[in-house]
Amino acid sequence: MIAELFVNALISGLLLGGFYAAISIGLSISFGLLDTVNIAHPTFLVLGAFLAYILNSEAGMDPLLAGVLMTPLFFLLGLFIYSVYYQFFEKTSAEALRGLAFFFGILFITEVVMIMAFGVDHRMVSAPYANGSLGGSILGMELSVPYRMLSVFVVASIMTLGLHLFFSRTFFGRASRAVHQDMLALSLMGVDPIRVKRIAFAIALATCGVGGALMIIMIPIEPAVGRLYIGNVFAIVVLGGLGSISGTLIAAVLLGVAESVVSTFLGPSWSPAVSFGILLGVLALKPSGMFGVGDTR
Amino acid sequence: MVGIVVENLVAGYGNVSVLHDVSIDVADKQTVALLGTNGNGKSTLLSCIAGLIKPTEGHIFLVDGEERIDLTSLSPKEIVEAGVSMVPEGRRLFPLLTVEENLVLGAYRLEARAVRNITMDYCFTLFPRLAERRSQQAGSMSGGEQQMLSVARALMGVPKLLLIDEPSVGLAPILVQQMIEKIGELSTSKGLTVLMAEQNFNQAIRIADKGYIIVHGEIAFASKDAVDLRENEMIKSYYLGG
Repeated sequence: MIAELFVNALISGLLLGGFYAAISIGLSISFGLLDTVNIAHPTFLVLGAFLAYILNSEAGMDPLLAGVLMTPLFFLLGLFIYSVYYQFFEKTSAEALRGLAFFFGILFITEVVMIMAFGVDHRMVSAPYANGSLGGSILGMELSVPYRMLSVFVVASIMTLGLHLFFSRTFFGRASRAVHQDMLALSLMGVDPIRVKRIAFAIALATCGVGGALMIIMIPIEPAVGRLYIGNVFAIVVLGGLGSISGTLIAAVLLGVAESVVSTFLGPSWSPAVSFGILLGVLALKPSGMFGVGDTR
Repeated sequence: MVGIVVENLVAGYGNVSVLHDVSIDVADKQTVALLGTNGNGKSTLLSCIAGLIKPTEGHIFLVDGEERIDLTSLSPKEIVEAGVSMVPEGRRLFPLLTVEENLVLGAYRLEARAVRNITMDYCFTLFPRLAERRSQQAGSMSGGEQQMLSVARALMGVPKLLLIDEPSVGLAPILVQQMIEKIGELSTSKGLTVLMAEQNFNQAIRIADKGYIIVHGEIAFASKDAVDLRENEMIKSYYLGG
């Protein structure tokens, strides 16, 4: 009986981890690789979720398809936000505190716009995989996995592993990882470091299209729900180690499993305490995070 | 035919002028030493050629066959595309990337991408140590290996003109000697034109075809050729201790 609960918690923890990876990878790129503390990232995920909601409820579109279709929009938004951020903050070396304030401002503006446009009610999407679950009995244990979480996990895995490959194998990916290490050296290679940062930031924001769709499939959405996730996503990125995308993916699964097991056995209210307990423990032993490469700046 | 002609260059940082009326001339396949102690403007001059600093007066012409391109009006990126690579002061590697990733980033220039693997093989032949360490993080290597990587990364751009800023800094004397010899090989084996800033006079003049001494941002001495550089009384008395 205990074993059955545990295995079920483990499986749904793994699936939850996939979802966490999808909503954290954008921040892992913008914060971990580019040093832009985009605290508004979870709010843009909520914006993505609402756009998926509109396309789903008004046009009957599949929320995952809606997420993919919105990706270019978020990419363009990312180009625009980074250009503004660069022009007014980074260029004048005012990124540390005022840059944070800039992203805080964007967070509140986006949130207020969403409240005015959509109200404060919780919204959800309808899709064939939103209900029901895959069940079965293995080794005498009754296991059950909701289709909702399964589909989120599959899409999240494709997106995050794809991005991981992109950033580790392509020329542009290598340049994005090099840009915070030495911008001047990069320009000596004939690469425009600001262009690299702008595009990488736009890719980070583009994950809010699919990420938002996954979010509204996972849970009902209201405009301020992004705040609930600020802690989680920052914890995952820091736990995995700044600058390491693979670290972020592993940390996401770790926290997903921990949260799921803890809420099964101790109750959901304990799960944030355990998540941040893990974070504190790891940082005490290894200040740069699990797969962090240390600070070279 | 690749060369560089610097004419009456004036440059500095903000209101502080560092170079006053500097003119130098580097001819095809030459290795030219730009000599001077710290703070006399060697790095500033190289940074001007690479486009990192915009001079206030004067011109820098890259002579490429029949063409004369004024580099002072180009961006760093355009200068790299024109065929000028720089090994910066302090190596400036990407410490968290592997040796191979550092080299690949050096081959961004369009002309360099097509021949990337060939150039990388050449770099590994030139510096066999780098081949052994190809998947190691650049920042974890010794100073000498990092300097090799910095030179190799610049070579990955398949430059016509190579600028090298103080390759001897922070290296043990034996490594300085090896590094200088490797740099000397570049013009003979690769047909590269090299402008090297150095404060290690003894080592630099071994490989230089000619040299300039820069003092307080002005060219204090310009040698006609290698012999002229080695036999010069001023160099002997001030810089070689005898």
